[in-house]
Amino acid sequence: MLPILWSAHPAMPIEPTMSDGSPSQATVLDTLNVRISAGTGRTMMFAHGFGCDQNMWRFVAPDFATDFRTILFDHVGAGGSDLGAYDADKYDSLDGYADDVIELARTLDVTNGVFVGHSVSAMIGLVVARRAPELFSTIVLVSPSPCYIDDIDYTGGFTRDEIDELLQFLDSNPMGWSQAMAPVIMGNPDRPELSEELAASLCRTDPEIAKRLARVTFLTDSRGDLGPIDADVLVLQCREDAIAPPGVGAYVQRAIPGSRLVTLDAVGHCPNLSAPASTIAAIRAFV
Amino acid sequence: MSDPDTPAIAAATTIDFEALFETAPCGYLVSDRDGRLVRVNRTFAGWLGVTPDDLRGRRLPDLLTVAGKIFYETHFAPTLRMQGRLDEVALELVAADRRRLPVLVNANTNEGDADADRQVRFAVFLAAGRRGYEQDLLDARDRAQATIVSERADSELREQFIAVLGHDLRNPLASINSGLHLLARETLSARGTKVTELMSGSVLRANALIDNVLDFARGRLGGGITLAYDAHTPLEPMLQQVVSELRSIAPAQSIVTHFALHEPISCDHVRIGQLLSNLLGNALTHGAKDQPVRVDATTSLGELVIAVSNGGTPIPEAVLERLFQPFYRGHDRVRQGLGLGLHIASEIALAHGGTLVARSDAVATTFIFTMPLAN
Repeated sequence: MLPILWSAHPAMPIEPTMSDGSPSQATVLDTLNVRISAGTGRTMMFAHGFGCDQNMWRFVAPDFATDFRTILFDHVGAGGSDLGAYDADKYDSLDGYADDVIELARTLDVTNGVFVGHSVSAMIGLVVARRAPELFSTIVLVSPSPCYIDDIDYTGGFTRDEIDELLQFLDSNPMGWSQAMAPVIMGNPDRPELSEELAASLCRTDPEIAKRLARVTFLTDSRGDLGPIDADVLVLQCREDAIAPPGVGAYVQRAIPGSRLVTLDAVGHCPNLSAPASTIAAIRAFV
Repeated sequence: MSDPDTPAIAAATTIDFEALFETAPCGYLVSDRDGRLVRVNRTFAGWLGVTPDDLRGRRLPDLLTVAGKIFYETHFAPTLRMQGRLDEVALELVAADRRRLPVLVNANTNEGDADADRQVRFAVFLAAGRRGYEQDLLDARDRAQATIVSERADSELREQFIAVLGHDLRNPLASINSGLHLLARETLSARGTKVTELMSGSVLRANALIDNVLDFARGRLGGGITLAYDAHTPLEPMLQQVVSELRSIAPAQSIVTHFALHEPISCDHVRIGQLLSNLLGNALTHGAKDQPVRVDATTSLGELVIAVSNGGTPIPEAVLERLFQPFYRGHDRVRQGLGLGLHIASEIALAHGGTLVARSDAVATTFIFTMPLAN
């Protein structure tokens, strides 16, 4: 396993009450590179999708940081998480990632919280909602897709062959990762607000782990996880999204009775980055 | 200034930047904040077999393979948005005739302007040769990995096989040995006593062979020789026992011992016993039968030295060099043995941080084992 050379860089202080010294707490908080805001309201947990890390919430989460207790984390294998904790068997399905979310939420005594999950994490949120309904009473699904591959009566947008090609493709694009580059901290004079460490780890991941997560993300059929759910569910969808097309968002909304669909006037798969203001407004209006 | 370089610099200032943009040896693209292309140069449009106007209003991911599209939306665009730039992204463009063009893309944003005015600039380079080369490397890596995986499976199987074989061979030997002990209590004829002694010797030899084979296999399979250091028990009784065992195998040959072990020795007693057994067995097999084999074990100057020497035909220099290689049996192919004894002995020496060397001349062939007293 490659050394993890970027250290934790707390952007927000971890509440003193959170570190009571119990070893399991320290473990999950360190492993998932957790950042907790000092806000004292309801808990709002943000979960990032494939290809990035918790930084993708950087234009959204701060808006909630004072009136919510916001929790940001990196899935194991992404960003500043502990790559040594990556277990190929555990993380070969959404359940392994859901285990981590549940452990993290229980460690931080979350009840009736808000879970905001982007892309694959939206589906992870639904798994969590089924397995531990007491944790989150509001689930926000940002650009969700329960199934990326076309099926009879379902248009996910991709064919199996195309997804296989993606896995090959990732070999050629190790997301900025190389053994030689790992310890290099790149300066970023154009973006002084990005610390050097952050720039070095931003959305970076071990290519083998990236490929495995891509497989889980794009080959999992989560349509069975839809259906009635004991939480308020908001579906946020971009007007134009090549990864999770509007029809898929509508499908998710129809499949979860009582859920609400908001289509944002945004293009792409990451409204949290391309249209943070309307993303914030939609979440605020719902919670 | 009448610098001869001045005219050249002046000429450079007359570059036609519009023409440079349009016909540069790379593709230039400018998109708005939503990623819609607002300006594309002729070089880039030409690669795709379209005109710059055809591309206006479209997005870069529209021009990519599906894999590239997913990568663009999930990693490229988010990272670019946060970091303001991203370099060396390997993508494939899909031309009007469906041909794929491998390219490398660098991108940055004109940060500092108002959000609505944010633009993304892309520089696109054809990279078919480089990408082909990278693909070859990836293929070679994948093949190498597949080979490693299958080799590993093979060697695990081999390891199990050897472990089971060793176990299965030791069991009948143990039965024979206890049978011999029972017989030794009976009243046997002189001839019977002689036969059981020979049989005991054979059992000892067979056990030593199994030990060597198992050690060799473990070493090859990455297990290495593991040591159980003991600095308190005296080593001499172990060495005496080895000598008496080998005496019983070759009662006709004389073994002369000299032990002067006056300092504590930190070593693995069983392993050092095995080392001596291998060296002594080698000397008894290959040495002149009419000359004594000498065993000297001494401690001095912080070292343990065990020397085993025998008389007989000297070993040629070339053979000496290869003596410690596994399965090497020198010029003497008539005598039995796998050729593992000396190899294992030298591995045991190495594991103790010591050395095992061989010297041979007309007077004697001597194997000298040296190791530090403290590990």
